[in-house]
Amino acid sequence: MIVLSSVSKWYPNGARPALIDVSAEIGAGEFVFLVGPSGSGKSTLLRLLLREDRATSGQVIVAGRDVARIPDRRVPQLRRTVGCVFQDFRLLPNRTVAANVAFALDVIGRPRHVVRSVVPEVLDLVGLGEKADRYPDELSGGEQQRVAIARAFVGRPRVLLADEPTGNLDPATSIEIMNLLDAVHRAGTTVVMATHNASLVDAMRRRVLELGDGALLRDEADGRYDQTMPQPLPPSAPPPPSASLLPPSVPAQPTGTAPDDGGRSPWAAPTRNGPVG
Amino acid sequence: MRPGPLASLLWTGLRRNLAMTGAVIVTVTICLAMLGAGLLLRAQVHTIDGFLLDQIEVVVDLSDAITPAERSALEAEMHRDPLVVAVHYETKQQVYERFRRDFRGSPDVVAGVGPEDLPAALRLTLADPRASRDIVVTYTGLDGVEAVRDQRALLDPLYRFLDAFTVGAFTLAAVQALASFALIYTMIRISAHGRRRETAIMKLVGASNGTIRAPFVLESAVAGLTGGLLAAGLLVAAKVFLVDGQFARQTMFPLFGWSAVWASAVVVLAAGVLAAAVMASIALRRHLRV
Ligand SMILES: Nc1ncnc2c1ncn2[C@@H]1O[C@H](COP(=O)(O)OP(=O)(O)OP(=O)(O)O)[C@@H](O)[C@H]1O
Ligand SMILES: [Mg+2]
Repeated sequence: MIVLSSVSKWYPNGARPALIDVSAEIGAGEFVFLVGPSGSGKSTLLRLLLREDRATSGQVIVAGRDVARIPDRRVPQLRRTVGCVFQDFRLLPNRTVAANVAFALDVIGRPRHVVRSVVPEVLDLVGLGEKADRYPDELSGGEQQRVAIARAFVGRPRVLLADEPTGNLDPATSIEIMNLLDAVHRAGTTVVMATHNASLVDAMRRRVLELGDGALLRDEADGRYDQTMPQPLPPSAPPPPSASLLPPSVPAQPTGTAPDDGGRSPWAAPTRNGPVG
Repeated sequence: MRPGPLASLLWTGLRRNLAMTGAVIVTVTICLAMLGAGLLLRAQVHTIDGFLLDQIEVVVDLSDAITPAERSALEAEMHRDPLVVAVHYETKQQVYERFRRDFRGSPDVVAGVGPEDLPAALRLTLADPRASRDIVVTYTGLDGVEAVRDQRALLDPLYRFLDAFTVGAFTLAAVQALASFALIYTMIRISAHGRRRETAIMKLVGASNGTIRAPFVLESAVAGLTGGLLAAGLLVAAKVFLVDGQFARQTMFPLFGWSAVWASAVVVLAAGVLAAAVMASIALRRHLRV
């Protein structure tokens, strides 16, 4: 789903590169933590995946397309494939919860009946069905982040990028948000989460990519926040076998990796109108 | 994007930007009113031309000593002249009868004049009454020609007056158009700033560039349309109160009719909407990177 080959990024007038020769492969349906100290290049990497910026050298491939070669007018298509949430939520303060989520569908031209049926479903999934008519400043930080996740997920992207989604939240709320992102993942979405939250990473035991000063220091399956193994995996290690066996790019299908996916989870159940996006 | 959500974006933008939008509307209204005034002045010139075409001819007075050969040579030359549509010969007797008709209100003048006192004449109907000056130059001093009288020359001051006002109106319209562009440019900058959150989220969730730009262009087009409607209203008011209410009583010339007003109003509306939208698109290149 995501392939990075020898990706480097120099910002203009940056003293040193923000990313140096990063190579990694993330399969469809994987969950990956991106860790590293402040300034190590995590956000920069996510920006490259969204084509908010271009790599100085190397290749970034998302959903089979070389991101740097996508013509400007096709970039919106990429961004419909890649959802994104941030530490600061980025909700529109003058719109209700439901309107914030609907906005994401409205501006990509979804028909009204789709918006009307999909938005309440997604709000129920993130546990905000009751608060659909509240405004963002009437919600707690955790609830605002749920809205942001609903907005990112409502178009059923194949990839969800989360840049320190729990950065502004207390530990208990962070766990709720983590569970929500895990549910998004179990619905078949590839999730890349940049975080400083060591306890979450250690509790989840998922694949960990560690950056330091722009270089990929570690690529560890079932990793922890801090390095535990004496020798890191080679940077271009293939994804864990369980992940690469996933049916590619069928977000609404239950996946084999989901630990407790006995029945069809509500996340996986496609809406009456099929996956949106 | 569907019309509903687009309209709501447009509405919030217009409300947020009310003062600036108002300034744009005022400037655009003045610009378009000037444009419309220029168009109506031109329509007035055409109206008078149409009137003169029927009414006014160039009269070539023939000297009493003209020979038949000279007269037919003269007429032949006039028939070849592209500016001349028709040549009509009037004998001394016919000229006298016209004279009596024209001055029937002043018997004293008529009493002292007989047919022999007036020259025979060739009356020329012109293709374009505004070309009468050329005709005068061409035929003055030819053999057998005593004088060339251009009845339209009497109206030259009127034409100069109308022409000067037309040029003035168009110049003012152009200056106001520049001012409108400056204001729209600023309006877009302020609007882009006010909408930066919305715009950032639209980019993030994959809205097309056209969708991101649409509210800005529409905002400007709405200002252009409002200015156009106000300007059209001013033109109608000018027709009712100035032209029909005042000038019609003060002049013997026919004045432009409603069709000229409607034609100008259509031009003004279209120009307002289109120019405002184009100006906004240009400003967006600078202020909105998508
Ligand atoms: N727009 C920019 N222009 C110049 N330099 C930048 C820009 N954005 C980031 N950088 C630099 O690139 C490096 C990596 O920054 P980045 O934001 O990717 O780090 P990060 O890992 O996300 O940090 P944090 O954990 O604090 O969010 C830093 O040295 C930063 O100063
Ligand atoms: Mg960051």
